[in-house]
Amino acid sequence: MSQPTEPARGETRNAVQPETPPPSPFLRRVLRRESTSPRSVAVVVLAIVVTVLCGYALLEALVHLVGQPSWLIEPQYAVEGLAKLPDSLSPILLGALGAVIFMVGLFFFLGAVLPGRRPRHVLNGWTASMRATESGIPTDRIGVVVDDGVLAASLARRARTAANVQREQVMVVVSRKLVVVNVRPTSGVPVDRELISGAVEEEVRRMQLEPEPAVRIVVAESGVVGA
Amino acid sequence: MNSSPRGLNRWAIGFFGFVLIAIGAGLLALVVIPAVASAWRNWSGGAWNSLQQVIEQTRLPGGGESWIWLALAAVLLVIIVLVLALAAQQGKGRATLLSTEVDAGGEPGDISIGGAVAEQAVRAALAGRPDLPGVSVATYEYRGKPALRIRLQPRQGVAPHLLAGEVADLVMALERVVGHQIPVLIHVGVGARSRLSRAERVR
Repeated sequence: MSQPTEPARGETRNAVQPETPPPSPFLRRVLRRESTSPRSVAVVVLAIVVTVLCGYALLEALVHLVGQPSWLIEPQYAVEGLAKLPDSLSPILLGALGAVIFMVGLFFFLGAVLPGRRPRHVLNGWTASMRATESGIPTDRIGVVVDDGVLAASLARRARTAANVQREQVMVVVSRKLVVVNVRPTSGVPVDRELISGAVEEEVRRMQLEPEPAVRIVVAESGVVGA
Repeated sequence: MNSSPRGLNRWAIGFFGFVLIAIGAGLLALVVIPAVASAWRNWSGGAWNSLQQVIEQTRLPGGGESWIWLALAAVLLVIIVLVLALAAQQGKGRATLLSTEVDAGGEPGDISIGGAVAEQAVRAALAGRPDLPGVSVATYEYRGKPALRIRLQPRQGVAPHLLAGEVADLVMALERVVGHQIPVLIHVGVGARSRLSRAERVR
């Protein structure tokens, strides 16, 4: 009544919020790269395997070329054995070899074909906690990615304070589009599911995750004694 | 943010996997399906004979071995070099300079600001925080543009959006000091240090 300026301050703060420029194409690209795997490990493994195999074949080819006795296998015999295949090796050994090579190939092939997403989310809710500056909110050049483990720990903390239980009684699993909050209540003390879900959903909304996950609360049937 | 050649990685792994799948499936088919085994015998017998002829015809003058082996060695060497070159490309992209300006403001003389300025400033500003046991800052050059990567490893339970907002404040202050707008990636992650440290109770 006598303080007309107080609500106005809140309004100006809200008015500052919409000035969030869209991320630059450069930043978009960086964020997209950060949320998928570079597959570097698989490439290094591939490089080692191919180098060892080709290096050995190279050695045998050169040894053969200069007319020296072969190191392990005479390459000409190897090719001959390949030509006479089902008979030149025991079927069990051949089958096992084929199965192993097939499995290793499948591992690499799936590694390339699957999307290779990292367990991460882009987080846009950091702007709300910034101090206002004259240069505005730098959403065009600052990007934030968060590991799902960090999100889970943070949401677990929020759920724990809302449910008023111990740390061990809450377990949160964060996947790309779903947050599952598992709560084991203290025996004899019911927990308020609505309260927990409200608190966790509020926290998820504040984080402004991309993609935005849904929240599911699972309250265990049995309680924890003496917690 | 590093410049690992992701598309190339994907193709290389996919091709390698496909070749292995084909070989493995072929070997299995030789054992399991008799028709495949007999077809292979028919084809490979002829192929082996013609290969032997080729080897005889391509013997090096002076009673040496066939130059086929030399060609094979060259092909293998090329494959090895290509694969090692691809492996060497992984994780590249660290830069030393945050910005360079030639004849800034019309005055003769160049100004370069090293990445270590930003790295040490951010690290020092965040050093005292009890909720943040791990900070690493690195300058990368991606697509010819320098950018900063700030990796935070907070204690368990720290709200990532509040932490990131505070770090963004620091970055803005840094921008004012450096006089440049720098693209920044803030990565809030789980590390060994944050996992082993106790949960944050009061903040």
